[in-house]
Amino acid sequence: MSVGDILSVLMFVAFIALIFTGFPVAWVLGGLAVLFTAIGIIAEIDFAVPLAMDWGYTALTVDRIWDVMNNWVLVALPMFIYMGLMLDRSGIARRLMNDFARLFGGVRGGMAITVVLIGMLLAASTGIIGASVVLLALLGLPQMLERGYASTLAAGTVCATGTLGILIPPSIMLVLMADRMAMSVGDLFLGALFPGLLLGSLFVAYILGYAYLNPSAAPVPEDQEPVGVSLLLDVLVAILAPAGLILAVLGSIFFGIATPTEAAGVGAFGATVLAWFNSQLSLSVLKSVLRETSRTTAYIFAIFIGAAAYSLVLRGLGGDALIADILHGLPFSATGIIIAILVFVFVLGFFLDWIEITLIVLPLVSPVVLTLGFDPVWFTVLFAVCLQTSFLTPPVGFAIFYMKGVAPPGLSVRTIYRGVVPFIFLQLIGLTCIFLWQDIVLWLPSQAY
Amino acid sequence: MSEPLSSKSIETDPYPHTRFSRWVDGFLISLGQLTAWIWLLLLGVIVVNVTLRYFFAEGHIELEELQWHLYTLGFLSAISYAYSADAHIRVDVLRENWSLTSRAWVELYGILLLLLPFVVLVFWASVPFVIYSYETGEISEAPGGLPYRFLIKLVLPLGFALLFLAVLARLSRIVKYLFLGAHR
Repeated sequence: MSVGDILSVLMFVAFIALIFTGFPVAWVLGGLAVLFTAIGIIAEIDFAVPLAMDWGYTALTVDRIWDVMNNWVLVALPMFIYMGLMLDRSGIARRLMNDFARLFGGVRGGMAITVVLIGMLLAASTGIIGASVVLLALLGLPQMLERGYASTLAAGTVCATGTLGILIPPSIMLVLMADRMAMSVGDLFLGALFPGLLLGSLFVAYILGYAYLNPSAAPVPEDQEPVGVSLLLDVLVAILAPAGLILAVLGSIFFGIATPTEAAGVGAFGATVLAWFNSQLSLSVLKSVLRETSRTTAYIFAIFIGAAAYSLVLRGLGGDALIADILHGLPFSATGIIIAILVFVFVLGFFLDWIEITLIVLPLVSPVVLTLGFDPVWFTVLFAVCLQTSFLTPPVGFAIFYMKGVAPPGLSVRTIYRGVVPFIFLQLIGLTCIFLWQDIVLWLPSQAY
Repeated sequence: MSEPLSSKSIETDPYPHTRFSRWVDGFLISLGQLTAWIWLLLLGVIVVNVTLRYFFAEGHIELEELQWHLYTLGFLSAISYAYSADAHIRVDVLRENWSLTSRAWVELYGILLLLLPFVVLVFWASVPFVIYSYETGEISEAPGGLPYRFLIKLVLPLGFALLFLAVLARLSRIVKYLFLGAHR
């Protein structure tokens, strides 16, 4: 190993170690870039190690930041964030919850299915795992527990569906991934749609089967009203607005009518109108949505800037070449290398959020994947599903921690762990399907425009 | 769901303010609340642009460029606002069990060894970047694009100057807490 290789590894280890101090991730990344530039320069001057690091090189960070600043596609990001926050405030989730609960209340496991469907419908609001898990936990968890659902089933459903939100388009994670992979956001959205629906269906099928086999885990209330025409109409009306909005956003991208940026802006506008129709739009709501949009956008872009500097210095030290050498040197076939990458990402997902993994790891491994001749959209969706699964997985699943934060005190971490285990298996089944049948991902984009 | 996303809201303000920090944080938070309206403006520009394009078949390069200008202004001004509001993502798994004093030490070393050097680097590197753009009279390459490219580039050093202020404010609070007998 050369000195550059050793420094690359050290830089990575330092990153993992330092973020556990609780210092903001963005500044750890940026700070390490400066620190390792200094180390590289000292190594070169004082120890005659040929590294070719200097401040002029690290100053190129500014050009990387400029690439972010004048990036027209990334404009979609704050707009999708706004759209999600506004949908949250629009009161639609609560209304859907009530209507779905009436519709599916008579089915065993109906409440859990309701949570899954709402999670999928409102996936737009849930680019951020924390937000979606918290929303679903506050909305669905008390209702399920009140009706005597097994707490493991209830907790597992909320966690799993909450993470599913980051995958189902329109998702801000996919916008960022498309940018890093230099691919079309539209293709990635469309590619992720069927995998997302597949996972959602697996969840619903599991809940139905589980409730059928363990009737006591998902009791049906005795005073359930019969499903009549008027109820159906109520539900249809309630579902029409949010579903219409999501479909309009995706549909306009699918048919090539609008760019993702335009779709995001129009979607944000639509969410505002929806909130207004539901009499939830006031000046104070608007202000708080705008400020929350600012803060969320700021922390994502701060990590973006920090990661730009970090990746630049890592590349300067030869980290990129090191990763490529290691991956190509693995004694596996091309498929085996993909699996190795996915396992690596899965483990990283225990420690890191999707933002860091997308910004740092994805660009490191993507050249290798492309030289192996795999479809980039397919690989990116696999990468996304793999990340999403890892957020669900003990010991450090992000979803589990967010869930614990808002769950009723009686719900122990142990219960949540036990609840998510079956869903992890479902995720792995989904992942395997996507791996084996690439058309699940690739068919829809091939039909678009 | 606005605030309680992580433990960040629990300890927004555990450290004593200084006169300097109160002034800076107050200023940056007001500024951030003001610039948050940019997102509404951006939304409006996109909707107008889409309407013009699909219903009146008019393409407007300047409106498209205005979109990323607004977005750049929005996110760069928000970074210091988010810093003052302590909204930047932290990994809280271990930290939440630590005492305020331990956290303050982490904050002190983090600011001195990681954050400040980074802010200084970006600021130092962005100044010639803006000056070059100004001296060459850089404009948009697109026909009908916006002039005065250096103005939007100027937002980068400005944003980082604000962040620098925000960091100094936080540093002053940490120093007061750790060294000036402000332990409660």
